[in-house]
Amino acid sequence: MNPAIECQQLSRRFPGGKGVHALDLHVPGGSIYGFLGPNGAGKTTTIRLLLGLLRPDGGEIRLFGERHRYGDTQWLHQVGALVEGPSLYPHLSGRQNLDISRRLLGLPATRIDAVLARVDLSNDADRRVRDYSLGMRQRLAIALALLGEPRLLILDEPANGLDPAGIIDLRRLLAELAAEGVTVFVSSHQLSEVEQVASHVGVLQRGRLRFEGSLHELRERYRALLEIRCDEPSRAMPLLEGFAAHIQRRDDAILLDADAGSEVAINRHLVENGIAVSHLARENSSLEQLFFALTGDDDATNDVEAAA
Amino acid sequence: MNLLAVLRAELLKLRGTLALWMCLIAPGLVVAMTVLQIAFRFSKPVDIEPHDAWMMLARAIESLWAFLMLPLFLTLEAALLAAVEHGNQQWKHLFALPVPRYRQLTAKWLVLTALLIAASLLMPLLIALGGGVLMLLKPGFGLAGSPPMAELYWPILKTVAAALFMLSIQLFVALNWRSFTAAVATGMGATVAGFLIGQSARFGPYYPWALPLQIFGGDGRNAPWAMSLGLAGGLLVAVFGIWHLSRREYPE
Repeated sequence: MNPAIECQQLSRRFPGGKGVHALDLHVPGGSIYGFLGPNGAGKTTTIRLLLGLLRPDGGEIRLFGERHRYGDTQWLHQVGALVEGPSLYPHLSGRQNLDISRRLLGLPATRIDAVLARVDLSNDADRRVRDYSLGMRQRLAIALALLGEPRLLILDEPANGLDPAGIIDLRRLLAELAAEGVTVFVSSHQLSEVEQVASHVGVLQRGRLRFEGSLHELRERYRALLEIRCDEPSRAMPLLEGFAAHIQRRDDAILLDADAGSEVAINRHLVENGIAVSHLARENSSLEQLFFALTGDDDATNDVEAAA
Repeated sequence: MNLLAVLRAELLKLRGTLALWMCLIAPGLVVAMTVLQIAFRFSKPVDIEPHDAWMMLARAIESLWAFLMLPLFLTLEAALLAAVEHGNQQWKHLFALPVPRYRQLTAKWLVLTALLIAASLLMPLLIALGGGVLMLLKPGFGLAGSPPMAELYWPILKTVAAALFMLSIQLFVALNWRSFTAAVATGMGATVAGFLIGQSARFGPYYPWALPLQIFGGDGRNAPWAMSLGLAGGLLVAVFGIWHLSRREYPE
């Protein structure tokens, strides 16, 4: 399947250096792509660029193989979006909010009931939105994004305001949509929100893409690091140079991207050189910790990237 | 999506809003103020024909409308229409739909114009109603029979054309800047300035906020100019505003 989104060297700078810088994104068609990064990393800027709400300084965007230009709205027929929280008319009912977009999209009235049922809002459709809870508003905003039966769904922090049950429902909905062939691009500042459903992830930090690939690749990359604790880490580090391309010191521990099966040889080498090894194991940390490592301070990030 | 579909969506947004009610409230307020003023001011019977009494009442109401209430009405309506989108950060949703921006902005301009026309069409009906009340409160004012409706409609419809220049400026200001206060302050400031500029024979005929009042000045001789400038200026500012707002970015 063709990539749903391809960005090459996409850039947009704001005063103060914020923005996105030379972004190369590849979102496979039919995937659930988790677009991750801390607040202020540039996720929403990227989404606004994708939707044509911002003009890029450089680079290009292709959606389903077609290059799109700022100001052109035709390609938006294929896209449903929720950008930075729900945009709703609080004085109108949920149904009327959907009816406005339905009219703008030229869709039959039956689509309203279909999307209301999909987000479980059928019973509250005729209540005014100002009486909705935050979670209900978020679900209505997702219904708005689904109204046009998009091939690509772009959701910016869709779990905001949802209770745990709502988050589980959202994950189920995203999985259903992906099974139907819809590409889902979902941004979040929490890996845990998407790791159960995402097939691919991109990790953004300070406007730059730090990692892009499948969740499997992300896990493999992290598991390759071997953690060693010993009595003289400073003396041990040069001794390990022959075992790994990159060696990193973190507090009392040494992390290295040694090959699988090299643990015995490493241990023997250190002991033969008079270093007492107290711990030698593959780091058994969560994806969340890797996410923090990728999006933490630049030095640590570079170390991890280089190690990978 | 054709313009009609976008207009229908715009009209749906107006349901139950103050913007819609203002079409009744604004002209109603002018009629009520004038009727009460006449009821309490005239102590002696006026010796004029009923037709002239109707026209006297109508001119008093229409002048107050054109001079004060119409600019304030358009200021508030433009700010309210824009606030519906600014307040809920709707632009990012609307402009992420496959509907050309110029079409959505044109619909906004047409809706504001429609609100102005609605208020203007209600005005003669409210004048007739106010006249009926005045007949009860002040029989000596000379009102009798039914009002000359055609004569009430024409001048007020001319003010619609003259007001388009001001309408387009107000809508542009309200849409371009997110602040409701800034939009209202601009309109109120321009209206107050119009009290002075409008009286100037040199500048009054060119000042957008004073053009509706020109309809009633010089025994109607200024009306063609005021309507022409109102229409031309209104369309020019509308085209520029739609072009500018269609091209600009929406980073927030």
